[in-house]
Amino acid sequence: MSIVVSGGRRGLTDPEISKVILAAIPDKPLETQRKMNYFMTPRGKRINEYETLCCYTQPTPDWIPGGLDWGDWTQKFHGGRPSWSNESTEMHSSDWHRHRDPAFRWHALYVKDKAEEWRYTDRFLKAYSADGHVRSIDPVWRDEVLGDYLGAFGFSEYGLFNSHSSATRDCLGDTLRMSIAMIGLDKVDNAQMIQAERTFLAKLVPGFDESTDVPKNEWTQGSIYKGARETVEEIWQGTYDWNEILFAGHMIYDPLFGQFVRREFFLRLSSYYGDNLTPFFINQMQLYHSQTKGVTKDMFHTCLAVDENFGDYNVSLMNMWSDKWLPRTVNALKDFMGIFSKIPTIAGVSDKAAIEAALGRVFDDWQRDYADPIGYKVDTAALIKTVLSGLK
Amino acid sequence: MAISAATKAATDALAVNRAPVSVGAQEVHRWLQSFTWDFDKNRTKYSTKYHMANDTKEQFKLIAKEYARMESVKDERQFGSLQDVLTRVDAANRVHPKWNESMKVISNFLEVGEYNAIAATGMLWDSATAPEQKNGYLGQVLDEIRHTNQCGYINYYFAKQGQDAAGHNDARRTRAIGPLWKGMKRVFSDGFISGDAVECSINLQLVGEACFTNPLIVAVTEWASANGDEMTPTVFLSIETDELRHMANGYQTVVSIANDEAASKYLNTDLNNAFWTQQKYFTPVLGMMFEYGSHFKVEPWVKTWNRWVYEDWGGIWIGRLGKYGVESPASLRDAKKDAYWAHHDLFLIAYALWPTGFFRLTLPTAEEAEWYEANYPGWYDMYGKVYEEWRARGCEDPNSGFLPLQWFIENNHPIYIDRVSQVPFCPSYSKGASTLRVLEFNGKKHSFSDQWGERMWLSEPERYECQNIFEQYEGRELSEVIAEGHGVRSDGKTLIAQPHTSKDGKLWTLDDIKKIGCVFADPLKSL
Repeated sequence: MSIVVSGGRRGLTDPEISKVILAAIPDKPLETQRKMNYFMTPRGKRINEYETLCCYTQPTPDWIPGGLDWGDWTQKFHGGRPSWSNESTEMHSSDWHRHRDPAFRWHALYVKDKAEEWRYTDRFLKAYSADGHVRSIDPVWRDEVLGDYLGAFGFSEYGLFNSHSSATRDCLGDTLRMSIAMIGLDKVDNAQMIQAERTFLAKLVPGFDESTDVPKNEWTQGSIYKGARETVEEIWQGTYDWNEILFAGHMIYDPLFGQFVRREFFLRLSSYYGDNLTPFFINQMQLYHSQTKGVTKDMFHTCLAVDENFGDYNVSLMNMWSDKWLPRTVNALKDFMGIFSKIPTIAGVSDKAAIEAALGRVFDDWQRDYADPIGYKVDTAALIKTVLSGLK
Repeated sequence: MAISAATKAATDALAVNRAPVSVGAQEVHRWLQSFTWDFDKNRTKYSTKYHMANDTKEQFKLIAKEYARMESVKDERQFGSLQDVLTRVDAANRVHPKWNESMKVISNFLEVGEYNAIAATGMLWDSATAPEQKNGYLGQVLDEIRHTNQCGYINYYFAKQGQDAAGHNDARRTRAIGPLWKGMKRVFSDGFISGDAVECSINLQLVGEACFTNPLIVAVTEWASANGDEMTPTVFLSIETDELRHMANGYQTVVSIANDEAASKYLNTDLNNAFWTQQKYFTPVLGMMFEYGSHFKVEPWVKTWNRWVYEDWGGIWIGRLGKYGVESPASLRDAKKDAYWAHHDLFLIAYALWPTGFFRLTLPTAEEAEWYEANYPGWYDMYGKVYEEWRARGCEDPNSGFLPLQWFIENNHPIYIDRVSQVPFCPSYSKGASTLRVLEFNGKKHSFSDQWGERMWLSEPERYECQNIFEQYEGRELSEVIAEGHGVRSDGKTLIAQPHTSKDGKLWTLDDIKKIGCVFADPLKSL
């Protein structure tokens, strides 16, 4: 038959074409090794689908540790700076391809989860509104705390989201790059969920202001988020080392400030003020925080801290970065204490003892999960005392 | 605590209407532009000579969760097809062997482009100041991860289910051996991520995606389908649905700088450089993969090129941007000449260097030679005769001791590598527009094949310093290089690359290559 095929004829279904194809196919497969990326070292016993689809997609030369390519970059920045370089971070690794998302999420799995969360959010909001839950929210909590201060917290999440842009560009490994982009998207999702909640309230409560004007003013001019804003700005645009950006944001600031604000303030207190809407959104954020924690702990603790050649050096650097970012975060929390003067005090819930206990939970968790694994010595009682000095 | 007036109003409203209420994506997105704030250090980490406007909007107004919903639906369809019906009909074993080999290259090289585009759009996300523009780039960051995984899935699928897994199963390791790799990195890797952020956007979105993804991702599906491959259309057309968003991002990049004075000074030069950069590789390589990597032919590459590159992109797409001062690249005319012959020139060289590939190549059959001659008059006298000679000397047979590369040496037709594009060329045996230009800088010689690349290098030689394969492998024996680059199958001796796809033909081993004693030399040293 002619080798020219027109009219959209398909080799799989056209009998004439199919006959030619089948005649050309070897009688038995030419290769017995059918496992893609068979040469790589898997995290578990076998190479999983995530590792197959993500690992070694990055074409870096072997002088960036772990790379499989050779030679120089084919085009560089103006002036000759390389496309990617070991100098982009103070951290050292014997293999920048070592990181794994503990949940082994490649793109399809990641969006599947988030798509389900979106559909469930839609169903939840419809049920919530139809059930008239909104009547039970304390008006001060609703209009001032959710309207203004939750809104302002959205800027913290949005700023952290943006801190992932240069890390997505500059990092030195493929699984790292994918993880960084995903945990970055989760942060903008948080900011958007906060706005979604405010927009939803505006639909149900006549006069509720969904505009971002007041929250933005609170974030940029107010005293409650002053320390947080300054820290986020420094993480986002003041820091160039992509590992330091991730460490500052996800190993110090968010596990302390983010956790206190989300979990110990909005999530814990909301039910006392008749608000069972905010926990729905915050719980999604807490899920993302938990997943991100797994990702970043793998980056810093599982990979860099125990690197066979650079582990000790990396741990020293992490300690130095902790020294740098912890005081700023403590200061952010201290400023945030001002929020308690804006809400009616509930004994055992939002009084000083309860706040101290909440801070204790956050700092204890942080010490156990983040400080201890790198041998970082910290006096959490002193830090809590400093934070509490911000109570009005 | 007294119930506020608002609570009372809400209560009253509920008494009248309890219809379920939710929040749509657009209701959230409309606030996005106000999410950012000004502060002293708020500037990009990637310098650009252009200023991207603070109020730039995006065309695809997605929020994170809506993005995920949309992509998840597409994934369900795509992976459902692959894992269900295509597997049950054993589709991977009903693909023509020549096309099976082409997909080793096409899918893996596209994967590299998609992967680097993650970083490229990360840089643009950082560079843009408008939250909506950042959001558009963010969507693309995620898309590029998706596409990286999808391209990988093609190789994964073919490796697991197809007729020749070698090359599909280890492309990420073996791809770096041969002459097509460095050029691919220039267009698909470094060209997207290294330079002025807007220049990178022009390379990626305005040229790479708006121009070459049409032939690369759309036209390729027709060739695949004709040759029995339904996996590639299933995946690539799903990829292409996202590319529309990327083209829109490129359009918005231009919109965002349109009122900047720098745009009138630099934009058309950057566009011309980007177009030449991309076309210099894609025009010959895509034409070669389609025509020489298939058994059944859809149409001559020059027609495909003319439709998608010259008319659709150079005319309509660039025409739309005319109101922003964008002009069709000056190099488009030279590119049109390349579209006719450059892929034939490249296949001659690629076949001559076949042992360095991670795929099998096939010489044109008599039937194909007729097709080439009919569509490219003069083809036989230039190329057909050479292939006949190579075949007669036993180039497909490991016992012959003949590699086509020897023919180039015997006939004094040295092969050079263009320093800027990294594309190999043979100035003394080519019908394309390649001409040899050699310049010396800092004690090192550099060869160029065209004026456009040479101009780029003369302006900024420090950007194009990469060694080529002849410099890298100089003095090394060919079988050593192949072994070092893992270019062998699981038996440890048979090459992944082969000079034929005949099911009855013998397969070459490392020993067969070693016996020939082929040693790499840098042609620039003899000048």
